[in-house]
Amino acid sequence: MDILIGILEQGLIYSIMALGIYITYKVLNFPDLTVDGSFPLGAAITASLMTNTDSALISSITLGHNPYIICIYALISGGIAGLITGIIHVKFKVRDLISGIITMTGLYSINLRIAGSANVPIFNMDTIFSNNFVYNLFPKALLKYNVLIIGFAITFGIKLILDIYLRTKSGYLLRAVGTNSVLVTTLAKDSGNVKILGIVIANSLVALGGSIMMQQQGFFEITMGTGAMVLGLASVIIGTNLFKKINFVKATTAVIFGSMIYKASMSVAMDISFTKASDMRLVTSILFLIILIAGQVKNKKVKIFVRVKEYLQDI
Amino acid sequence: MVLWIVVGGAIDRNKREEIKMKKIFGLILLLAVGLFTGCTKDTEAAKGLAEKKQYTIGITQFGEHASLDNCREGLIGGLEEEGFVEGENLTIIYENAQFDTGTSNQIAQNFVSKKVDMIAAIATPVAQSAFNAAKDTDIPVIFTAITDPRAAMLTEGNVTGTSDKLPVEAQLKLIRAMLPKAKKIGILYTTSEVNSLSTLEEYKSLAEHYNFEIIDMGISAAADIPLAMDRILPQVDAMTNLIDNTVVGSLPVVVSKANEKNIPVFGSEIEQVKLNCVASEGIEYVELGKQTGRMAAQILRGEKTADEIPYEVVEGSSLYINSNVMDNLGLSLPLEYMDRAIDVVEN
Amino acid sequence: MLELKNIYKTFNEGTVNESKLFSDFNLKVEKNDFVSIVGNNGSGKTSLINIICGSLDIDKGQIIVKGEDITKKKDFLRYQNIGRVYQDPSMGTCTEMTVLENMALADNKGKSYNLGRGTRKNRISYYKESLSKLNLGLENKLNIKEGELSGGQRQGMALLMATMTPIEFLILDEHTAALDPKTADIVMELTCKVVREKNITTIMVTHNIKYALEYGNRIIMLNQGRIALDRTNEEKEDLTVDKVFSIY
Repeated sequence: MDILIGILEQGLIYSIMALGIYITYKVLNFPDLTVDGSFPLGAAITASLMTNTDSALISSITLGHNPYIICIYALISGGIAGLITGIIHVKFKVRDLISGIITMTGLYSINLRIAGSANVPIFNMDTIFSNNFVYNLFPKALLKYNVLIIGFAITFGIKLILDIYLRTKSGYLLRAVGTNSVLVTTLAKDSGNVKILGIVIANSLVALGGSIMMQQQGFFEITMGTGAMVLGLASVIIGTNLFKKINFVKATTAVIFGSMIYKASMSVAMDISFTKASDMRLVTSILFLIILIAGQVKNKKVKIFVRVKEYLQDI
Repeated sequence: MVLWIVVGGAIDRNKREEIKMKKIFGLILLLAVGLFTGCTKDTEAAKGLAEKKQYTIGITQFGEHASLDNCREGLIGGLEEEGFVEGENLTIIYENAQFDTGTSNQIAQNFVSKKVDMIAAIATPVAQSAFNAAKDTDIPVIFTAITDPRAAMLTEGNVTGTSDKLPVEAQLKLIRAMLPKAKKIGILYTTSEVNSLSTLEEYKSLAEHYNFEIIDMGISAAADIPLAMDRILPQVDAMTNLIDNTVVGSLPVVVSKANEKNIPVFGSEIEQVKLNCVASEGIEYVELGKQTGRMAAQILRGEKTADEIPYEVVEGSSLYINSNVMDNLGLSLPLEYMDRAIDVVEN
Repeated sequence: MLELKNIYKTFNEGTVNESKLFSDFNLKVEKNDFVSIVGNNGSGKTSLINIICGSLDIDKGQIIVKGEDITKKKDFLRYQNIGRVYQDPSMGTCTEMTVLENMALADNKGKSYNLGRGTRKNRISYYKESLSKLNLGLENKLNIKEGELSGGQRQGMALLMATMTPIEFLILDEHTAALDPKTADIVMELTCKVVREKNITTIMVTHNIKYALEYGNRIIMLNQGRIALDRTNEEKEDLTVDKVFSIY
């Protein structure tokens, strides 16, 4: 049971980042590698704002190191990272992948500077999961589920806001620019600006995810962004593929499920006893393949499978 | 999540979607079952470690790396010396985070949910993940191969272990003894490795006592090493290693480039001297692991709790030399060194 | 209404591939004109359209719309007053969004795309009505993704979307070229209907001489960046397909 809770916690927190990647990859059709830099950026900002207890300026702008306010700063920092990538891509006409790579590479050094060190622990500090407000609010019995409950609330809150946004006029434009930027121009709107907006929103979410992840794990590590894009992309694709034909599951919900399935696969891979610890990645990739293929099995084959099953049951 | 699926199954738009729903439900059920069966291999509830007969330790290692592997070997050996033998009264679950913090977190949570009797963590990030995951439980965390446990905030609480703080002063003395006229020592390090940063600071502060100047160069990935070596070698008389995972992982490149220019490379550990570093006043990682194993045994036997044991630093260092490399470079050491030196070539 | 004055345009100037397309090109389009522009490939039809819409820069000259010089205006700003239907049915609509959402998207042209509701409930009946006038069955497919419709249905919608909000003139960029003959006829009829009802000045680029003669009040033939033929109203009625071909 605890393992399940652990997977849910990890899956929920990572899905915040996956939702950001969903916006750039699926909605905007823009493969955005900025993510590998903006994920730790959110964490670096959080680490810096939490551990700088000497600075009066920081104390005042964070309202006394309030972790919720700090999360907002992390969100904004991600937006700035996205803005840089967007400007490089739209105004300087650099290709999508390279623009992301440029920002991500620069962010490595910037993140180190912001955090102050390659590894910054925050074990005893107030986080969004453990602070006086939470201790007073939650009844004793629920306290050990604080990460799960707060994580669930934040993730689904973000999902709902995203869903509503994608149904606004601005959201419509964003969806249009990904499939057909010419249409946006014909509607007398600057498609470049719309793209930039999308990249900003996406990276804000990613940085927020980084901040929350860091608060859950208790420390900042400069390498925590490596492979973030891959993880997020896997979640998005697994989620959207699995739930493709099921109309009542929105894409945003599918992404959250995809993230949880990703984490579950890794957990299963860890526990398979006949493989060595170093084989974990191989096992994980095989699991992904199985899941993706299972999601693609066409109707005909399902009918045959069902008929065979029935036949066997009759025997 | 399960509720979601059930609700979803109840709303069947058409047969096709229902079958799809059932398939996915089945898949998730399968995953859940897999997890639960993993769960049931639990150990008994920890009513008091000293009273138990069977122990389970979860070992989490940050990445595939010779020094870290040595630590693990030593740890298991140290436990064995103290009477905890794998297969007899000890079960070891070993997981490797593949240098990924996300995996590190999952491993830690995995161990905690399995209610292991102890988590042994090799290197800083996995130790921090373990400490964080175990902090609301009784599970003690024991670490090794962390250079600065204070900076990692692993000195308070149900955690203890050993630090692989390098004997920097002894190394500086060694270099001075072998190269009486040398002025500049080059150090290559990876900017993302916090252990390297703290050791580098110590080198810089002690170097002038021995009339040395430290020239350092930071890299961010193994691919940067050849170019960095080209740039640093003309400026220095010798190189010395930290226990930087990335640099040590590419040691053959470092050593061969240095040899082209006849610049000696001083290692930080016996494995490196075997790989043609000229000498090292280093830590023996297997020994460090054993020391950690002995501490772990104390905790398992219930003699002390983790928060009662302060972390230990290895005292003294072992001098390893590579006589082939020394001959090639025309270097020698005074007698008082040679007396206690261990030549890796003979072995 | 629209005037192109002394337009000069050379491609790849100064290189081996240099080609002068327009050299002191002039054109005037009056209000309520329905101009068909024909010509073989390379005659400059598409370039002309792109110059008017702003996606192709000119070397020299002026583009004037209703007295305003828009030569320096950015392309997306020009579209505030221009509607355009493209040859490719996927370019006039958003294939990933539903019919209803596409209508709402086009309906908002000229207004701010802010955080207001994307599809306003009180406009849905208006959308249904407009779609039913197309006679393509779209009024019953409001929640179908645009990409699942046929080419003809999409072009019909593209036409509707381009003309939903007030525009100065409509550009039809070979908009029936990718459709089968029957559907092309349907869309052409629709075009005529919409243009007449809303009284829009129209410029239609087409390969189809029959359409060019049948519809509209003016026909222009371009040949290598020059106007080879320009007949309006009665003069136009005298032309037949053969006559036009002979000038080709």
